[in-house]
Amino acid sequence: MMRAGPSQEEIRKHNLGTLLRHVHLGGPTSRAELTTLMGLNRSTIMALTADLTAVGLVREELPRDTGRAGRPSLVVRPESARVYVLAFDVGVDRVAAARIGLGGVILDRREAVRQRGPFDMAEVVGMLAGFARQMHRKTRADTVCVGAAAAFCGAVRKSDGVVRIGPNIGLEEGPFGDELSRKLALGLPVAVGNDANLGALAEHTRGIGMGCRDLIYLHGDVGIGGGIVVNGQLLGGFAGYGGEVGHMVVNLGGRPCGCGSRGCLEAEVGERALMEHAGRYGEAIGRDGVRAVVDAADRGDVVAQEALQRVGDWLGLGVANLVNVFNPEMVVFGGMLRELYLGSAAQVRSRINTVTLAASRERLRLRTSVLGDDATLMGAAELAFAQVLADPLEVLARFAP
Amino acid sequence: MSQGPVLELRGIDKSFGPVQVLHDVAFSVYPGEVTALVGDNGAGKSTLVKCIGGIHPIDAGEYFFEGEKVQVNGPRDAAALGVEIVYQDLALCDNLDIVQNMFLGRERTSGLVLDEAMMEEMAAKTLAGLSVRTVKSLRQQVSSLSGGQRQTVAIAKAVLWNSKVVILDEPTAALGVAQTAQVLELVRRLADNGLAVVLISHNMNDVFAVSDRIAALYLGRMAAQVRTSDVTHSQVVELITSGRSGELGLRNGNGAAS
Repeated sequence: MMRAGPSQEEIRKHNLGTLLRHVHLGGPTSRAELTTLMGLNRSTIMALTADLTAVGLVREELPRDTGRAGRPSLVVRPESARVYVLAFDVGVDRVAAARIGLGGVILDRREAVRQRGPFDMAEVVGMLAGFARQMHRKTRADTVCVGAAAAFCGAVRKSDGVVRIGPNIGLEEGPFGDELSRKLALGLPVAVGNDANLGALAEHTRGIGMGCRDLIYLHGDVGIGGGIVVNGQLLGGFAGYGGEVGHMVVNLGGRPCGCGSRGCLEAEVGERALMEHAGRYGEAIGRDGVRAVVDAADRGDVVAQEALQRVGDWLGLGVANLVNVFNPEMVVFGGMLRELYLGSAAQVRSRINTVTLAASRERLRLRTSVLGDDATLMGAAELAFAQVLADPLEVLARFAP
Repeated sequence: MSQGPVLELRGIDKSFGPVQVLHDVAFSVYPGEVTALVGDNGAGKSTLVKCIGGIHPIDAGEYFFEGEKVQVNGPRDAAALGVEIVYQDLALCDNLDIVQNMFLGRERTSGLVLDEAMMEEMAAKTLAGLSVRTVKSLRQQVSSLSGGQRQTVAIAKAVLWNSKVVILDEPTAALGVAQTAQVLELVRRLADNGLAVVLISHNMNDVFAVSDRIAALYLGRMAAQVRTSDVTHSQVVELITSGRSGELGLRNGNGAAS
């Protein structure tokens, strides 16, 4: 269909969404700043803010003393305590749920240890829904939940949120989003995304990568996940499985991987590889295991040092390949990779420095996650907020109590 | 990145009696970057830092700050320029709280009395600006803090004074793995906030994890100052242990001028 251009209603919807996004990501912002940021005139900003205030998404306040002459511009704040989403995270060793307010404020959170073993959908969904109910019971009457989303350590189909395969957690073809939505019984769909993809989104929007348009986030759990942001957009791929850097083959014919292949980055760098090289497989798992190895290496344990060097070398090779292909401005190490990178940075960077094109690496910044264990949850929250940011008034009308 | 150095030393010589510790040392530090200063024990790292901090007068050489030639005759001159040094022993007072330590010797007053509210606010702002979340109360005595938290307070104290160059002498040496990670991230954040940071360390992982440049001293001479993205671990180790590595470093392996 031919169209002359967006209708006035669409423009208004777009502007409302943009204003709300500025306040959601940038925190309290004065009307004057919004005028500059959005390139709109003052009366339009005033009208937009009035609309958002009327439905209770933002509130306007006089700023504290600005120390400057003249009437101060009103500050627009997100109604963080009133408008929130439910965010969930399913990792191999941990399940977590949080109530996250507009503006990215964690209002409440719950988490539990998950025992390794076969994936029990009913148990995990039941636990998360239980957390949600506990948190819901503590909210005031005037609060409104505008969305829900989950981060899952597996490959997730974009169209319907089905987890296609999670080799490390033992799930295949699981309609996780639908199951959780049914169990929550809040009349909310639950969007699902890959945990590392969502971690990338979180570090990009409100973490170490703020203002960085090209970044790669690497998430270490039992395996290695990745999220690639190109020109400000998360790379999803055709069906949503983009960014599975953990299954990039770095060592042809190397260690067997849970996906069925050999020599994948996650097979060479994942928890099992590190623990086996260190001769500590089965002693401790997760972060405790990785920390124990780094700690032992620091104290002079030669076996632990060699294990870290080997794993760091493969990690460096994986990063080097990504740097050559994507020329990112920043690579962020999150989850267990934070400890691993800091404990083997000499190997990681030596490998990067010898394998990448000099032009691709000269401005490269290697950083650790600032959101830490909350990165995946914060990313899920961003996914859950997506709808309200796209069409604030409609979504709020739908969910208002 | 294309900015010039904020601090630059040229041709620094320093002797203690008959022993010449620094020979014709050049050293540059850039804003927004972490420069790792490495070298074996006795290579002259601490002496160089003390020359920068004005504790030792230099025998010869030039000291440039923000492009201007300056004379640094004592620690106060260095502090006035915006150069702060955090020594290994941290120089914190156990019996004082965090705010008192951060303002020790430079207390703010309001009339005749100390302006406690103002100092507390500034301290809180500084720690928040560094995303420090591990400290529970600013009125906690330093004796109750862990090693990593003490290091954090000492670093925050150095940052409080709008400093431009912060020099950290082995900040992770006495710390466990978890606290080392926090301090390294703090070091990186200082530079990402625009400060010029000098990190003295023997740990190659720490050096490679956070530095943008590496300066290697060998027997009192600057063997090389290189970008971290241009070298490997083994090259840096060679520079430290023999003063040269392939094309890099001193021409004559025993440290004599070429």
